[in-house]
Amino acid sequence: MSGKTFAQKAIERASGTRDLVPGQIVDVYPDLYMSHTASWRCIKTLEGMGVTELYDPDRIAMVMDHIAPAVTTKNAADHKLCREFAQRMGIRHFWDVNAGIAHVVLMESGLIRPGELVIGTDSHSTIYGALGAFGTGVGFSEITATWVTGKLWLKVPDSVRIEIGGALPPGTYPKDIMLRLIGDLGADGLTYCSAEFGGSYPGSMSVSERMTFCNLAMEMGAKNAYVEPDEITRRYLDEAGQPRDRYQELLPDEGAEYREVISLDASALAPQVSVPHSVDNVVPVDEVAGTRLDQVFIGSCANAKYDDLEIAAQVLAGRKVAGHVRLIVTPASAAVMSRAAASGVLGTLIEAGALITNPGCGACAGNGGVMTDGERTLSTANRNFPGRMGSYESEIFLGSPATAAASAVRGVITNPTDLMTEVSS
Amino acid sequence: MNMAEKILARASGRRAVEPGEIVVADVDRLLMHDLSGYLTGQVYDREVNRPVRYPERVVMVFDHHFSPPTEQQAVVLETNRAWARRHGINLLDCGSGNLHHAAVRGGFIQPGMIVVGSDSHTPVHGALGALGVALGNDSHAGTVLPYGKAWFKVPRTVRIEVSGTPRPGVSARDVALWLVAKIGEGELNYAALEFAGPYVKELAFWDRWLFPLLCVDLGAKCAYVEPDEVTEAFVRTLPGGSVDRLERSDGQEAESVLRFDVGDLEPQVACPPTVGDVRPVAGLAGHPVQWAELGGHGGGRLEDIAAAARVLDGRRVHPRVRFNIVPSSREVFAEAVRAGLVLALHQAGATWFPPSTGSNQAYNMGALAPGEAMISTHARNFPGRNGSPEAEMYLASAATVAASAVAGTITDPREVAA
Repeated sequence: MSGKTFAQKAIERASGTRDLVPGQIVDVYPDLYMSHTASWRCIKTLEGMGVTELYDPDRIAMVMDHIAPAVTTKNAADHKLCREFAQRMGIRHFWDVNAGIAHVVLMESGLIRPGELVIGTDSHSTIYGALGAFGTGVGFSEITATWVTGKLWLKVPDSVRIEIGGALPPGTYPKDIMLRLIGDLGADGLTYCSAEFGGSYPGSMSVSERMTFCNLAMEMGAKNAYVEPDEITRRYLDEAGQPRDRYQELLPDEGAEYREVISLDASALAPQVSVPHSVDNVVPVDEVAGTRLDQVFIGSCANAKYDDLEIAAQVLAGRKVAGHVRLIVTPASAAVMSRAAASGVLGTLIEAGALITNPGCGACAGNGGVMTDGERTLSTANRNFPGRMGSYESEIFLGSPATAAASAVRGVITNPTDLMTEVSS
Repeated sequence: MNMAEKILARASGRRAVEPGEIVVADVDRLLMHDLSGYLTGQVYDREVNRPVRYPERVVMVFDHHFSPPTEQQAVVLETNRAWARRHGINLLDCGSGNLHHAAVRGGFIQPGMIVVGSDSHTPVHGALGALGVALGNDSHAGTVLPYGKAWFKVPRTVRIEVSGTPRPGVSARDVALWLVAKIGEGELNYAALEFAGPYVKELAFWDRWLFPLLCVDLGAKCAYVEPDEVTEAFVRTLPGGSVDRLERSDGQEAESVLRFDVGDLEPQVACPPTVGDVRPVAGLAGHPVQWAELGGHGGGRLEDIAAAARVLDGRRVHPRVRFNIVPSSREVFAEAVRAGLVLALHQAGATWFPPSTGSNQAYNMGALAPGEAMISTHARNFPGRNGSPEAEMYLASAATVAASAVAGTITDPREVAA
């Protein structure tokens, strides 16, 4: 038998079986089950069925991130239900409305380990591949069943290897690489595939940048995404309080079989923008430069981590947000907020005129930043479907934090390199 | 004449006015927030439909929303923006701060002005020696927007003299809460209240602010602290700050004088269902709270944030409490960042929110579930104002709010901070 892909190895580990091939269906025992604000649905289902015992409360991680804090009495009651359930059932890994986005919070807290299999009630659970884990999104009923039985069926995916070399030109970021890939491969380009990122570029990325990569792989339909764990991964986990002997990295074998190998040269790239109304509708920023904006949102699990805010602050330092634009910045987590407050990034953003909200999903999940007919937002998030941020007659463009910040300054979609030139001249 | 009389006389072109007279006065400033501005704009376009006479005098501040959570709310804001552009009025969009704080920080309020607003706490501008009066949306649409005028019945003046030195740990907010109970809700209907006496005069500007804020709870028409060197020094820090029109009493006696001594006061808490249900904190000690918040008209000042930071120094927010901090203005948020207070309080477990009215009326945040309780620096505690009518809102000083956030129950701040 030839070598194995990461996905084969991860599923073999989680199912306790050997020699799996793509297409096979097995029961796996996930290491962690993440559920967000909508955990109340699962709890009500369980209560309706009279279930009182969980398979392993320590494998449950609940984060109140989507509507945080409550806007309606119903939201408040849902949060309270989750809070009380967690306490009653001994669920230790519970984060309340003040913690931030589930994915980022779990990674920062050391709960996501290389080689492990994590399911989450959120499609962007592919993000856990940034630490070399197998992360995938599931539905509420699936996670509810897993709470009780500890297991879930999974079909072994085909793997696609994406080799990225070269260095990004100034003003261009991992978000631009991913938008270009999504544009090239299409929203269904990697349906049910394990997306393995390789080559010299992914190895040079920070864990935060790898998160952007693995998060956005979902927008091509990927089942999971993966960047090989390395010393950067280990150092991140050291900081998260995860001892190196507590996890085992899984690496794909040399002769692993891939459905396809895709190569991309990062050095040939310019900033990219995804235009309405689908994520794979991607053009170089210059093609839409000058499009008038009403709002800019820097947030979401794709791009609201500390380095994203820092990039935005570099562009916004000494500048002001255009008078007709609202710039909303939602730090991904409490830890991101902390770093931004300590480093001066937060102060720079406030002085430039940004509206800083509490950490969480914020406007990406429709909690704030809602638009009315005819309005237009440029967002660093991962989705631009009609109606996602309010009216079906509004428009969402997606770009990097640098593109977002530059566009907030000019009030129109702007190539960030235009402002960078302004600095040096 | 007393200060209110002098301002009304000048603004109505008379040499003198007396309590009970009805005058038509020129209005210097109209303040509206995103909700009242929307209603006023609708009535104006439908019933009056003419250019705003003095658009430069009109200020709209988006403060109940900082980031609209529904499309319906987004439409309200967008309608307001379009209205503001069409009429050329001043618009401070989301994140600028609480209406009254943002108006002061933006240099829109000066001593001697007549300031009207469709917010019941508009009299707070008496802290700068302005005559602040809350009017209805229809009055604004009917006379203020088209003519720059409003009619007033000249109020009688009641002086509230406060003396004594409060014990350590008892703040101006405690004194203010206590005064509402001592005087009684609705007991001073249509009076002009002058807050005076050695206690008030020795307060810094932003502590004085808390007293005219009480006007509406007492039923009064307006309230103020006679402007003095503290007021003048503060006004000079504001953009375009001018004391050219400052007015003071000419020595005329108030119609009546109420005297209070605060020497024996304990920290106070206003309990649901009304602002006047005020008790010493000791009587409520141990009552569980799940939420704590600095913000609203009565809080979110830099002073509140600093007081909370002192309480939380070396301590953490209780794991079962969410502690929200809502700066009263963008300027306060920036000052708090520079002073290291944002970092310190965040690391102690508090969560920062955009400058706004915060959880007030739960338009953008702050809905409570049945059985939950919040302790806050807000100005109102009516049942149902924050989500469920089965939830409770307690009002207190920033130090009591912070101490309660640490303990998870209503707590005397003197027990936490040594």
